[in-house]
Amino acid sequence: MELNICHLYPDLLNLYGDGGNIIAMKKRLEWRNIECHIHNVTLHDSFEQDKYDIVFIGGGQDFEQEVILKDLKGDKTKRLKEAVESNVCFLGICGGYQLLGNYYQTWDHHQFDFIGALDLYTIGDKKRMIGDFVFSCPDILNLDVVGFENHSGKTFLGNSVRPLGTIKKGYGNNGQDQTEGARYKNVFCSYSHGSLLPKNPKLCDVILDTALYRKYRVNINEALHDEYENEANQFILNRLL
Amino acid sequence: MKFRRSTALIIAKILVKILRITGRGGTSLPGKLALLIYPALLSDLAFNTEAIIVTGTNGKTTTSRMISEILKNAGLSFFENKSGANLISGITTSFIENHHLNCQYAVIECDEAAFKTVSKHLNAKYILVTNLFRDQLDRYGEITHTLNNILEGIKNCKEATVSLNADCSLSSSLKDSISNHVIFYGVDIPLENTDETLSDAPYCIKCKSRYHYSFRTYGHLGGFYCPSCGYKRTQPDVSVIDILSVGKCDSKIVVSMNNTTYQAVVNLPGEYNIYNALAALSVGIAMSVNEQSMIDSLSTFTGGFGRMENIILNHVDTHIILVKNPAGLNGVIRYLSNLNDEMILTIVLNDKFADGTDVSWIWDADFENLIRIMDRIKMIYVAGIRYDDMALRLKYAGIDQSKIFKVNNYNQLIDEISDDKYKNTASYVLPTYTAMFDLRLKLTKKFKLKNFWK
Ligand SMILES: [Zn+2]
Repeated sequence: MELNICHLYPDLLNLYGDGGNIIAMKKRLEWRNIECHIHNVTLHDSFEQDKYDIVFIGGGQDFEQEVILKDLKGDKTKRLKEAVESNVCFLGICGGYQLLGNYYQTWDHHQFDFIGALDLYTIGDKKRMIGDFVFSCPDILNLDVVGFENHSGKTFLGNSVRPLGTIKKGYGNNGQDQTEGARYKNVFCSYSHGSLLPKNPKLCDVILDTALYRKYRVNINEALHDEYENEANQFILNRLL
Repeated sequence: MKFRRSTALIIAKILVKILRITGRGGTSLPGKLALLIYPALLSDLAFNTEAIIVTGTNGKTTTSRMISEILKNAGLSFFENKSGANLISGITTSFIENHHLNCQYAVIECDEAAFKTVSKHLNAKYILVTNLFRDQLDRYGEITHTLNNILEGIKNCKEATVSLNADCSLSSSLKDSISNHVIFYGVDIPLENTDETLSDAPYCIKCKSRYHYSFRTYGHLGGFYCPSCGYKRTQPDVSVIDILSVGKCDSKIVVSMNNTTYQAVVNLPGEYNIYNALAALSVGIAMSVNEQSMIDSLSTFTGGFGRMENIILNHVDTHIILVKNPAGLNGVIRYLSNLNDEMILTIVLNDKFADGTDVSWIWDADFENLIRIMDRIKMIYVAGIRYDDMALRLKYAGIDQSKIFKVNNYNQLIDEISDDKYKNTASYVLPTYTAMFDLRLKLTKKFKLKNFWK
């Protein structure tokens, strides 16, 4: 078995250790003897949606998002939406999460149209929401997900999208409605950047499992030794809860 | 106001003494208090001293120490702010402690976020921007934001000569926004053929097209040019034109400045220190220091606090190297890869404010490059507040867990890494900023080391 992971704009959307999520997916597949290929797709490259089982989009700075918007117009947007609708697995973090939504409105009312694959939008705020945070995901797994958020955009979900989790400590999507991240078809989105997947191995396995099931109709059944992972997770839980 | 000024001074001086006696270093509190009592104190004290301000992401401390060495050998009177006390409070403390010396110059290492405020108070004649890398983003926001802060800071100092890194596409772009006299320094040749994937600035700061490179030195540094708008590296005034050797303890280089070439020994290992040496030379040039004297200073220089410090713990030859961001850490890993010694490695990761509260930057550093030398690394110790995250990072870099030793207690750590079993092994300790202070305090007590604030 093998999975193909597309890393979208790895040279642009790579803030705050987002590459750690790619490392985690690759390692956890390899430890189970499942092949993993990473495909870097950046500006001017074509996005061939049939080639990928998982698409990863990380966060970036405003400077970089402007470059990307130009590149996304037209064909890439169409193909990304097709991929989402045909149940390709997605992981969008922070800026990558926002990008999958309808638009971003800056605090001084400029609107940037995004690809609109998910029914959600983001409103910029002057205040940044920064810090360690914890959310629970009762409907996918019974566990507390820990991470570090750093965003000034407040994201609000439409009716067809449900949150990834419920905030226990921290801000999450907007600091108002206790929601964090988004779920739609096989899309997973979160404001938790950096080492989201390494420190939340069960969430990583759920994503890998989703992709494997879609492709091969099999599930992951091999547990790994996750002492380090669980200790890093527990540290934040102890600190915050 | 005179009364407030002298009150502020006296209280701060007493505080400095008390904090020293109680062994706390006392680098920022006295200045903070003094500024509360008399906000104009720093401007007052700094009025008659020409300041050399060193800011930028990486290499501030080492470069400041190199500049000091140059000034010392040139017989100029100066003082410096020590131990990384590089915010306005710490800088004020330095001026309080030294103002009775009536020095002509002050060598001031300044935090890049604090620079725009600090530069309003100082009589800056020389400003050096070392480089811009991604660093502690949770504190500064975007890298272009940091760049704008530095620009504002320079605009407070119309008289100052500004030294810029020609190879850094981000910081060298400052030239077009300022009217100051600018001196560029840079490395004219590639430093090493590594598969460098990490670039903090792949796209043109002016027009957002992808840069092309005629050569690379490290990170995003090198011979960049933008095919779209034409923005490109400026040929530097001070440059390295050849590298004769890169050794375990030093580098031998050929430097060109003012149309003359000099052979120089940079008495610190690691390629990143070649940049620090060049940066220091560019300031010396701006000050018209004798060139041969500057070159000699590079070879007599012996490092700064925690920037490749060499100490013997029990019988173990121990090197302490501060790490604080992916580019710096990659430089250290590259340096370690070039050594042939058997070694132990200790990484101490904290997440206090001065370290950056977000530790996810460790996922951007290429710990995978350690795999190639794991046969020579006997053990990797991980410590500090976020040692769990560090151990996890090493595991995912592919390092065998039997070679990772988690220890959450400095006393136990020191016992482990100073054990006799390592007496023929080189020991490298890589702490983040506050971890270095914590560790250093324990070492000072246990091995009676020199107090770090001296
Ligand atoms: Zn350009």
